[in-house]
Amino acid sequence: MAELKYAFYTGCSAKGVAPELYNSTYLVAEKLGMELIELEAATCCGAGAVQEKDEFLSLTINARNLALAEELGLDLLTICNTCTVMLRETKFKLDNDPELKKAVNEVLAEAGLEYKGTSEVTHFLWEVIDGVGLDKLKEMVVRPLKDFNIAPFYGCHIIRPVYLIGYEDPDNPKSIEMIIEALGGNPKDHEARLACCGFHSFWSAEDEVTLRLTAMDTEAAKEEKADFMVTPCPLCHTQLDAMQEEAEERIGTNIGMPILHLPQMIGLALGMNPEELGLQKHVISTENIINKITASV
Amino acid sequence: MEHFYLKVFRYDPTKDEQPYYKTYKLPVEKGMTVLAALFKVKETQDPSISFRYNCRAAICGSCSMKINGHGTLACKEQVTKLLEKYNTDTIVVEPIGNVKPLKDLIFDFDWLLEKFKQVKPWFIPKEPPPADGTEYRQDPYDHHKIDFASDCILCASCVSECNALKANKDYLSPFVLAKAYRFAADSRDGARRERLEAVLDHFNLEWCVRCWQCTTNCPKEVQPYESIIRLRIIAAEEGYKTPGERHAEIFEKDIKERGLLNEMLLPIRQEGVLGAVKRAPFGIKMFFKGKVNIADFFGGHKVKRHEEVEKIYEKAKEKEKEVKIRIPQILGVVYEDKRKTRKRANFLDKGGNE
Ligand code: SF4
Ligand code: SF4
Ligand code: FES
Repeated sequence: MAELKYAFYTGCSAKGVAPELYNSTYLVAEKLGMELIELEAATCCGAGAVQEKDEFLSLTINARNLALAEELGLDLLTICNTCTVMLRETKFKLDNDPELKKAVNEVLAEAGLEYKGTSEVTHFLWEVIDGVGLDKLKEMVVRPLKDFNIAPFYGCHIIRPVYLIGYEDPDNPKSIEMIIEALGGNPKDHEARLACCGFHSFWSAEDEVTLRLTAMDTEAAKEEKADFMVTPCPLCHTQLDAMQEEAEERIGTNIGMPILHLPQMIGLALGMNPEELGLQKHVISTENIINKITASV
Repeated sequence: MEHFYLKVFRYDPTKDEQPYYKTYKLPVEKGMTVLAALFKVKETQDPSISFRYNCRAAICGSCSMKINGHGTLACKEQVTKLLEKYNTDTIVVEPIGNVKPLKDLIFDFDWLLEKFKQVKPWFIPKEPPPADGTEYRQDPYDHHKIDFASDCILCASCVSECNALKANKDYLSPFVLAKAYRFAADSRDGARRERLEAVLDHFNLEWCVRCWQCTTNCPKEVQPYESIIRLRIIAAEEGYKTPGERHAEIFEKDIKERGLLNEMLLPIRQEGVLGAVKRAPFGIKMFFKGKVNIADFFGGHKVKRHEEVEKIYEKAKEKEKEVKIRIPQILGVVYEDKRKTRKRANFLDKGGNE
């Protein structure tokens, strides 16, 4: 089997507001035999915001991020949907436009760097399936999630747009369901499976758009009686977990839907303890999950 | 599979209190489109079904509907491919989402048309046509910038699952904004500020949640999302100050000064002291959950090799004016296998009038 070694791009969220994602990624990756070399010199991807103010700057900054992975001769692994799409967009544009690549490299040369285009941009979700493999994952399960109804929440940028992402059919993706099934859990279809958490218009349309989406999404999972939602994106997580109470307030109902990061869910099935996975760090209580999981052993 | 089921949304406001679904069994025929399947039902089983159509060739935009949850054109989607794609024996057809259903698969397009009118979706020339009697001319790069947004057939497939519109019916809608962009970015157009003000008035640009659903649904590769982003870029260039513009400034400053975004100091910088007060409970909540580091409230740390970033920043700023960034044009689906469907895109223009 190919060596599972990656240049690890953490993104700002896992370093800032979602340390439990950062920690659980390391724990689970190690267990799955993935080696992560953290890109400590990497910067923020711009999250689409910088792109609007300064398109060329954002391309060069992300070209530097990609060049850092190339220095190590490794593919770049992200744990955030938006980082994935921003980095893949940069790569796509540079790889398809020789003039732009030349212009970007002239800038990078100032810092002694060069973008070549030799590293792929991949996401933890995809590497669990294509790198580790579902058969191996299944074998490693010690605590099947059979008592859990789990609502997948993909988050936009891991499925759309197809020309940048293209890992699976954006109309009917299956990767998260495949992982849930490998872990012995019950994936629950729901209205908001492919919807948006609202994060990216938080600062401009919190009341008009963002919190309404957050409420609709978490309610959809509740309607299907899911025990929790799982997402591969820390931005979706922050929005659906940390802002869920605000969303409840605006619409005047009680939702209380726990949201797990993808590696946390995997970690639980692999027998790791909920505390080391950081389940207690969530705003929406995960107590029911912890109780159920400890009772299932 | 010899047969499949067509599950159709039925609603006649003159006699039904509630919409309901009716399922029809049909033989699977090679090459049959969903529109052809609807005709078959109408001709052989139930003449009462209402739906719109005209060209049957993905040109007129009349036959848009929601098929297995996604807005698209019924005359473009093939039954056998859908059955395979969704791994099912049932195709569900409903009117486009986010819009009021009128009768069966027919939805209220007038509501969208009213929105459309607000952006003046017609060319307002900057100058009189050339005196020698030739047409208005345009630089190929300028044309490239609007080419992708010019092919809209007003089918409203993009409207169907637009997340911003789902949350708020005042949102202008993706194709409306794509049209606003198409003219605002046209080098020959004379009403740029007027158009920008029409969309900025509603703050509609900023409501888009960047979900890329419109672009994914669009059967004509129009890319409404890209248009909205480009409109925001133009608005910033024209000097309009919007929350998005402020947000972008903060991001850029953080990258320049430390490399990573400081999420904990975002509120005070985005919204000032009042904003910080409003957000304080949130910050405290995050702190007590052990999610955030106290250092972040005082600026946080720099990434390694940050001096490289500073050099790149200066040089990129110096160079940006001379760089022509091309917009990828999507050119249809080129390959499909079990888990990968990727639309082909490149930087070639699709042809056109240059
Ligand atoms: S990207 Fe924006 S306009 Fe397009 S569907 Fe999403 S919210 Fe609507
Ligand atoms: S942008 Fe595309 S999906 Fe939307 S109305 Fe125009 S052609 Fe239809
Ligand atoms: S009938 Fe004209 S687009 Fe389908």
